[in-house]
Amino acid sequence: MNEQRPGFAVSSLALLVILFLQIPVVVVMLASFSETSYLTIPPQGWTLKWFSAVLTDRIYLSAIWNSLILAVGSTLISLVLGVAASYAIFRKMVPGSEALTSLLMAPLIIPSVVIGVALLQYFTLVGMRGSFWVLLIAHVIITVPYIVRSALASLSGLDLSVEEAARVLGAGGFTTFRLVTLPLIKPGLVAGALFSFVTSMENVPVTIFLAGPRDTTLPILIFTSVEMGVNPSVAAVSTLLIIATAIVLLVAERWTGFHRFV
Amino acid sequence: MKSLRTGALLLSPLLFVLVAAFVVPLLLLVPTSFQEYRPGHGIVPDAWTIANYARIFTDDFYLEVVLRTLGLGVAVTFSCLLLGYPVAYLIVRGNPRWRLALTLLVIFPLMLNLVVRSFGWIVLLTNRGVVNNLLIDIGLIEKPLKLMFNMTGLMIGLTHIYLPFMVLMLVAALQNVPRDVEAAAATLGSSRLHAFRSVTLPLTAPGIISGSILVFVLTISALVTPRMLGGPTYQVMATLIYDEYMQLLDWPSGSALSFALAISTILIIWISSRMTKRWAGLA
Repeated sequence: MNEQRPGFAVSSLALLVILFLQIPVVVVMLASFSETSYLTIPPQGWTLKWFSAVLTDRIYLSAIWNSLILAVGSTLISLVLGVAASYAIFRKMVPGSEALTSLLMAPLIIPSVVIGVALLQYFTLVGMRGSFWVLLIAHVIITVPYIVRSALASLSGLDLSVEEAARVLGAGGFTTFRLVTLPLIKPGLVAGALFSFVTSMENVPVTIFLAGPRDTTLPILIFTSVEMGVNPSVAAVSTLLIIATAIVLLVAERWTGFHRFV
Repeated sequence: MKSLRTGALLLSPLLFVLVAAFVVPLLLLVPTSFQEYRPGHGIVPDAWTIANYARIFTDDFYLEVVLRTLGLGVAVTFSCLLLGYPVAYLIVRGNPRWRLALTLLVIFPLMLNLVVRSFGWIVLLTNRGVVNNLLIDIGLIEKPLKLMFNMTGLMIGLTHIYLPFMVLMLVAALQNVPRDVEAAAATLGSSRLHAFRSVTLPLTAPGIISGSILVFVLTISALVTPRMLGGPTYQVMATLIYDEYMQLLDWPSGSALSFALAISTILIIWISSRMTKRWAGLA
């Protein structure tokens, strides 16, 4: 039995690689506590001043707020539209389900930069450039494939006889869906919603073409401020994001066994 | 008939959004890519040209950027495969008690904001960054190494970013290989390395291929990491498209380049899925 376990060399190499994956995370966190106004590792002195600087800065706060609204809004819209469409495809209510699925998944295949420039030109032509709605629509388009993928995967594991049973007992179509189908596919949808949320929260390649000066998002703000030089506030706001991500990941794992859906 | 109407009702909102705000905008890029752009004047009305496409294959600068992008794709794919395989192997075949923790440590950087991860590499790789300071302190080098704004920086950053995808694909593939076949090979007198090479590796080939395609496609279309670690001068296709739209305002060239990128991506995915299907049919 022990014979089949990976040997010492393979195991240590693998652990080194996993360590490599965490290095930038650790470095950013360490840098954000340093007292100096430039980045130093190991940090010189320990301070929380960069965190308070970020959390009182109106530009950062509005960027955080914009990112959250966009992520929550686009995830909710994607959930409603995506689950409805997936259900129709799954129950074969309309012809051409394979072609339809490909269309719904297409935003994953087209490079994000290309989607970004296409939307920039389009919304400039129709005169909507710079509006917050444009950003919301764009985020729905890039997040909806994650919802559709998880919805179709969860639905394919569904035992249709439970739906039949509900119907026989007199439940209407929507009631059946709400009380029977939805709870059964919920874990998959939660995972899909999380992917959607994360995708929206971190998107740069589409957002950067569409965000007006007033509705910049957090990743765009970090991205553009890095071009002007590295500073501890960026490290602090990054650390906040790292902690938030870790909490979300652990809660999701507890809640849904998240790693099975990745 | 009622079910068709319900189905159409359920599908139409999403279809409407996708057609109106995804399909149509992409199609509108086609005419733009054939238009003529004159610096200082903008797009020339009613003048059609294929120069924007021709330039991608003839202009030295463009050609260099395209070849660099493709080379980067191949290099990053190989390094992800080499580094990712041991990790996937340890996760699937190692102590089951470590499994969840290791998986979460692989997923965590994947979930973490791309901009934050690239920023982390800047802190590590700049001239006065962590790596250079460390190497100078222990006396290995005297002058800082140039680790950013070149191939080295992009390789490190992109490998770090796409490695988790590769590991997860390989984990899925390795899970489908029963432990028994390795044990059988061992019983029949095969050494561990030989058993791995002639049994495990071929059986995980579908995962290797799909992981490699994924990493390659993601690498050639990456914008954030190449921009942050390559700066404005060390260009790849995505950063060039960004500059042509946002800095030079040369939309025709930018959209021609966008099409070149999108079509190569779609072709690669299409060919590889056909190959895997045929291959699966043979096996």
